[in-house]
Amino acid sequence: MSSSQYVILRKDNFDGFISRLSKLQKLVAPVSKGHNNFSFEEVTSGEEVAVRYIPTILPPKKYLMPQRETLLEFNVSKGLESTPVVEHEKTTIFGVHTCDIAGIQCLNMVFSTRPRDFNYLTRKGATTIIGLECNDYCDEYASCALVNANLPNGGYDLFFTDMGEYFIVHVNTQAGEDIIEAAKFFEEAGDDQLKALASLREKKREIFKNEVPIDPRKIPELFDKSFDSKVWEELGERCIACGNCTNVCPTCYCFDVKDEMNLELKGGRRYRVWDSCQVEPFATVAGNHNFRKERAERQKHRYFRKFRYHVDKYHRLFCTGCGAGGAAEPAWLG
Amino acid sequence: MKKPKVAFFDFTCCEGCQLQVANLGEELLDLLGVIDVVEFREVMSEKWEGDFDVAIVEGSITDAHGAERIKKIRERCKVLIAYGSCATIGGVNGMKNGFDLGEIGKYVYGSSYHFFPTEETRPVHDVVKVDYFVNGCPIYLPEFKEVLKAALQGIPYHVPDYAVCVECRLNENVCMYEKGVSCLGPVTRGGCNSWCVNNGNICYGCRGMVSNPNQKGMKDVLTRYNVPLDQIMNKMGMYNRCREKK
Repeated sequence: MSSSQYVILRKDNFDGFISRLSKLQKLVAPVSKGHNNFSFEEVTSGEEVAVRYIPTILPPKKYLMPQRETLLEFNVSKGLESTPVVEHEKTTIFGVHTCDIAGIQCLNMVFSTRPRDFNYLTRKGATTIIGLECNDYCDEYASCALVNANLPNGGYDLFFTDMGEYFIVHVNTQAGEDIIEAAKFFEEAGDDQLKALASLREKKREIFKNEVPIDPRKIPELFDKSFDSKVWEELGERCIACGNCTNVCPTCYCFDVKDEMNLELKGGRRYRVWDSCQVEPFATVAGNHNFRKERAERQKHRYFRKFRYHVDKYHRLFCTGCGAGGAAEPAWLG
Repeated sequence: MKKPKVAFFDFTCCEGCQLQVANLGEELLDLLGVIDVVEFREVMSEKWEGDFDVAIVEGSITDAHGAERIKKIRERCKVLIAYGSCATIGGVNGMKNGFDLGEIGKYVYGSSYHFFPTEETRPVHDVVKVDYFVNGCPIYLPEFKEVLKAALQGIPYHVPDYAVCVECRLNENVCMYEKGVSCLGPVTRGGCNSWCVNNGNICYGCRGMVSNPNQKGMKDVLTRYNVPLDQIMNKMGMYNRCREKK
């Protein structure tokens, strides 16, 4: 750890920092919605921010790939005229846990693969990510140690660790440094503070242990062997196809593209909206053929997209261990 | 291009869906720029005797008179849109189907009930062919406009065949079950943009069930959240009684 990369923010200055940050550009952070539910929303003061929170109703990926997004505006009154649209706004996301950062790293790979997704990548370029460390498990559904997402591993501009009296902050990029400069509340981290951070990380290695009794390197092989397993039938029987598991997943990125005409039917817009492999119409094609009619097949598909197919394509698991998929479903499939 | 002639009709219903259309406000004027409304009881006194392009029908069919009338309307129009829960799934009127028709007649009309012959409640598509459906009680206006535009373009409109939960989650509502309240979202068709839950209410199932609900899975959910099955069946019965007949 090089000390120049680390700064300190005293807790007394947290509110001042957040409000100043919110004046620089749009600032979003986890806020409490009651009933132990949280969501990323725009904030202007420190007291609105839930510094301790469990995975949010939707992950912060929504700022990089919004639930609904216009792609094109068109007019057909004189031939076809169309204008591509890229909706973006400079945004800082404060308080992103390592699981969600891992999710954004996955999405970066997916959307950078050709044909590159300019809408996503433009927004990614306009987004500053400030991570926030989990010193302990956030809830009983998390399995972040299994996929090695419990410790910071890049993908952020600044990274906050709560040390009680103060936050110690890792400055990872120029954008991060610009914030430190502009906010003015930060002091250089001393040796004691760096030691305290190192010992917190040591302690975390004791707290976070692989939650699932399997060697993570063997997961792809396990999936190869269980393609015809009965476990999928069992999951299918319990799944109510609510789509929550994919909507809350930090790495799910499927969408549907639709056209919406104006009332006078002379023009309109093309937009995309999140889709889910768990819902009935997802794999239905012309002639009303459904490639994955059974809920069991759809659940199997989802698990294979997290633990098998993407390992070949992107050389990493597409599960970040956040536990949200299981916790968000009324059916609690886990 | 000549503006298509559009007529609104109502059968057994509260006429609330017509009111929703009337409530479009300024957009109603835009609508009138693309269609020629020839009959619409809620907003105009004129009647139309000739043929027309689009019939927009509210209400369910609950007696022989209604069945005859809807058949005649079907003959006069090119495209028929059923709108509102009463028309699309039977809706609240379907509750009648849970009783003996004679008994329920007496309960409502007293001893002269035989002057008011009644039949089991049916959604419109059980009597005549329906080309488009706008579900909901009342209809969700953005969806109504989408369906109307689809009908005017001659392209299909697919009522979403997934649970209300899908849109509810995208709207970042706290799940009603998490709040300790039971909700019909997990088995009800989306397309309403989780309108009720966005406004703090539960889903009452007014859009009808998804085509392939997981009954066993839903029972597990109820057990997990300690919700008695008959409580859910009662809620379900408010709009979805016609479904049980088939």
